Amino acid sequence: MSSTADTGVSEVPLAMLRDGETGIVVSVKSGYGKAWGLKKRLMDMGITPGTRITVVKSAPFHGPMEILVRGYRLAIGRGMAERIFVRMEETRAGCAEK
Amino acid sequence: MNGKKLVIALAGNANVGKSVIFNYLTKLHQHIGNWPGKTVEKAEGTLHFKGYTVDVVDLPGIYSLSTYSTEESISRRFIAVEKPDVVINVIDASVLERNLFFTLQLMELETPIVIALNQVDVASKKGIQIDFEKLEKILGVPVVPTIAVKGVGIFKLLEKAVEIFEGKLEAKPRQVKYGEEVEERIEKLAEAVRDSGLPYPARYVAIKLLEGDREIQEEVEKSKPQAVALARSLGEELERLHGHSCPTLITSERYQAANYIAREVQKLVPPVKPTLGEKLHNVTTHRVAGYLIMAASLLSLFFFVFAVGNVFSDILTSLLYGFKPFFERVLGAGFFEELVWEGVVEGLIAGASVALPYIIPFYLALYFLEDSGYLSRIAFLMDSIMHKMGLHGKAFIPLILGYGCNVPACLGCRIMETQRERLIAAFVTTLVPCAARTVIILGLVGRFVGIQWALMLYAFDLLVVFLLGRIAFRILPGEPTGLIMEMPDYRLPHLKTVLSQTWFRLLEFMKIAFPLIIVSTFTVKLLEATGILRVFTSLLTPVTVAWLGLPAETGITLLFGVLRKELALIMLATLLGAADLSKALTPVQMTVFTIVSMFYIPCVATIATLVMEFGWRKALVITLSEIVLALILGGLSFRILILAGLT
Ligand SMILES: Nc1nc2c(ncn2[C@@H]2O[C@H](COP(=O)(O)OP(=O)(O)OP(=O)(O)O)[C@@H](O)[C@H]2O)c(=O)[nH]1
Ligand SMILES: [Mg+2]
Repeated sequence: MSSTADTGVSEVPLAMLRDGETGIVVSVKSGYGKAWGLKKRLMDMGITPGTRITVVKSAPFHGPMEILVRGYRLAIGRGMAERIFVRMEETRAGCAEK
Repeated sequence: MNGKKLVIALAGNANVGKSVIFNYLTKLHQHIGNWPGKTVEKAEGTLHFKGYTVDVVDLPGIYSLSTYSTEESISRRFIAVEKPDVVINVIDASVLERNLFFTLQLMELETPIVIALNQVDVASKKGIQIDFEKLEKILGVPVVPTIAVKGVGIFKLLEKAVEIFEGKLEAKPRQVKYGEEVEERIEKLAEAVRDSGLPYPARYVAIKLLEGDREIQEEVEKSKPQAVALARSLGEELERLHGHSCPTLITSERYQAANYIAREVQKLVPPVKPTLGEKLHNVTTHRVAGYLIMAASLLSLFFFVFAVGNVFSDILTSLLYGFKPFFERVLGAGFFEELVWEGVVEGLIAGASVALPYIIPFYLALYFLEDSGYLSRIAFLMDSIMHKMGLHGKAFIPLILGYGCNVPACLGCRIMETQRERLIAAFVTTLVPCAARTVIILGLVGRFVGIQWALMLYAFDLLVVFLLGRIAFRILPGEPTGLIMEMPDYRLPHLKTVLSQTWFRLLEFMKIAFPLIIVSTFTVKLLEATGILRVFTSLLTPVTVAWLGLPAETGITLLFGVLRKELALIMLATLLGAADLSKALTPVQMTVFTIVSMFYIPCVATIATLVMEFGWRKALVITLSEIVLALILGGLSFRILILAGLT
C-alpha cells in the first residue's frame, strides 16, 4: 500500500534514531531461526507497521533503547532496534550527516 | 457443602495486578512486586462464595495467546486447553490499548470473561479517564473498575463471574472484524478446520493458523494437513495483496481494533508537569547518573542491613545468653543438661541472634526495591554487560532476587526466552550470596573483620559471577536473545505489601530453618559427645586444615551448611562454644570460611530446584563445579591473604 510511495531515503532502522526522535514503523525484519517468535513478540507488544515510536534514550555501551509505544515504556535491545525499520516523522533541516 | 464448583482463572498482561487480586481472594501469598514476570507458575487457591467452592488460579502474565516462553505457554494452555469456567481478564487501565489486544484474543477463543479494569487510581493520576460502561457495551463483556491493592471492586468481580457462570448475565463477546480481504480468508479457513476435532472454536483456529502459530499448526497437521496447506496459500495471497506477511497483517489489524476501542472509551488529560516518578525514571536510567545511583543504592542497601543487623544481633546475643545461668539453675549441670543446652537451646539462640537480625532488614529492603519498580531500570542499565554472558538485561532480575533466596530466583529464570539462557542465568544465580550467605558475610566478616571486607567479598562475588557466566557462555554458545521488557512506572511501594511479604518470608524461614537448626546442632553435639565427630573431622582435615587453613570443626559445619547455608555459621558458633567468634577464628580464617560458604555448593533446596528445572545431570554438573570452585578460591585466598601479611 503505502510502501510504494516511500523513497526509501527516510526509512531507517530504529537504532539510528536519536533521543527524542519519533518514527513510524514501516516493517519489522526477522532474522533466522527463532526469529518468528521474536518478531511476533515485538508485534504483540504493539510494534506493528504504522505505529508511532518515540525514542526516549539509549543506554551506553551499545545498550538497549527506551522507547514509548502505544502509551507505555518499553526497553528493547539494540539488536532488536536494528530490525525495526521506521520512517522519520519530521525531517529535520540539514540531517545529511550519517 | 453442596459441592458446587467453579474454576476462575486470572489472566492478562504482566504486572497488571493479577496476583494482588489472587492474594486478596484466597488469602494466600503469591509473590507481588512492580516488575513484569513475577508469577512463573500457575498457583491455585480456594474460597467459598455464594454456595460455590471457587477455585481461583493465578497465571503468569502474557501479552498474547501466541506464546514463546515457558511461563507464557503455561497460561495459554490453562486458558485454551483446560478451560476454566470463567476467566477474569485483569487489565491495566493506564495501558489500555496493549491490554485490550490480549482481551480481543480471549474473545476470539470465546472464553467466558469478566474484565477487571484495574489500577484505575494510577490511570487517573496519569490523566486517563475510562468510560467503563461504554467499554462494556463495545466489547459485550462485563467490566468492573478495580483498585486491587485496596480491594476495591474485587467482590463485584466474583459476583459477575458467578452470574456469567449461572447464565444470568449473558455475555456476548463481540468479535474483532478484520479487513474484508482477511475476513474472507478467515471464513474460508474456518470452514476447512470446522471438523478438525480441536477443542477450540474454528474461527480461532483459522486466525491462529494465519498468524503462523506453531503449536496450532502442529495440532491441525495431525487431523487436517490440507488445512495447514490452505492456510499457507491464503496467507501468501494476503501477503501479495498487502505487502506484509500474514502474521504481521493480522497482528496489526487486531491492534488497530484495540486502538479504536481505547480511543472510544478513554479521555486523556495528561498532566502538564512531569511527575516525580518520571523525573526519578530519568535520573535512574541516565547513562552516567544511572550507574552511580545503582551502585549507591545497592551499597546503602547492604549498609542498612549491616547496621540494623549488628545492633539487633548484639542485643539478642546478650539477651538470650543471659538465660544461661537461669537455665543451669533449673536443669542443673550434667551430661544430659549440657546436651540440651548446647545442642538445642544454643542452636536456637544462635539461629535467632545470628540469622534473624540480618534477614529481616534484608527482606524489607529487597521487597521495598521490588515494589518501587527499580528492578526493571537496573535490568535496562545492565543489559549490555549481561550480553557478555550470553544473556540480556532481564536476567539481572533473577540475579538480584537471588540475594534473597536462590530457589525462587532459579524459578524466576523462566522469564528468559531460551533453555540455554535459562540455564546460564540459573547457574550464575546460584553463585549469588542469598540471605543465608549474607548472614555469614555480614555476621562473620562484616562484624568481626570489618564492613569494608564484607563489601569486598560482595564485589568479589560479582566478579566471579561475571567470569563464570562468560565461561558458561563459552560452553553453551549461541546468539543472545534481545531484550524486550516493559518498564512499569515507579510507584510508592505499598507498605502493607512490603510488610506482609517480609513477614511471610520470615515465617517460612522460621518454619524450615529452626527445626533444621535444632536437629543439626543436636546431632553434632551427640556426635561430639560420642567421639565420632573427632574421627569425622579429622578425615576432612586435609581439606579444611591443610588446604584451607581453617579449624577442623569447620569440616562438619560446612557439611551441614548444605542443608541451609546459615547453618554453617550457626553451628560453628555452637561448636566453638563462642558468642564471640573473633576469639576462635582469625580474620583470615573468617574470610576464607566465608568465601568457601559463598560458593561451595548450592543448598539442597536449590539443588532440588535445579533438578526440577534442568534435570539431574545438569544439576550435578553445576553442583560439582561449584564445589571445585569453592575449594580453589578458598585455598588460593588463604595463601594470598597470608602472603599479603594478614593474620
Ligand atoms: N496503585 C495500584 N497499584 C496496583 C494495583 N494493582 C496492583 N498494583 C501494583 O502493581 C504491581 C503488580 O502487581 P502484581 O499483582 O504482582 O501483578 P501480576 O499481574 O501478578 O504480575 P506478573 O505476575 O508479573 O504477571 C504491584 O506493585 C502492585 O502493588 C492497583 O489497583 N493500584
Ligand atoms: Mg503475578
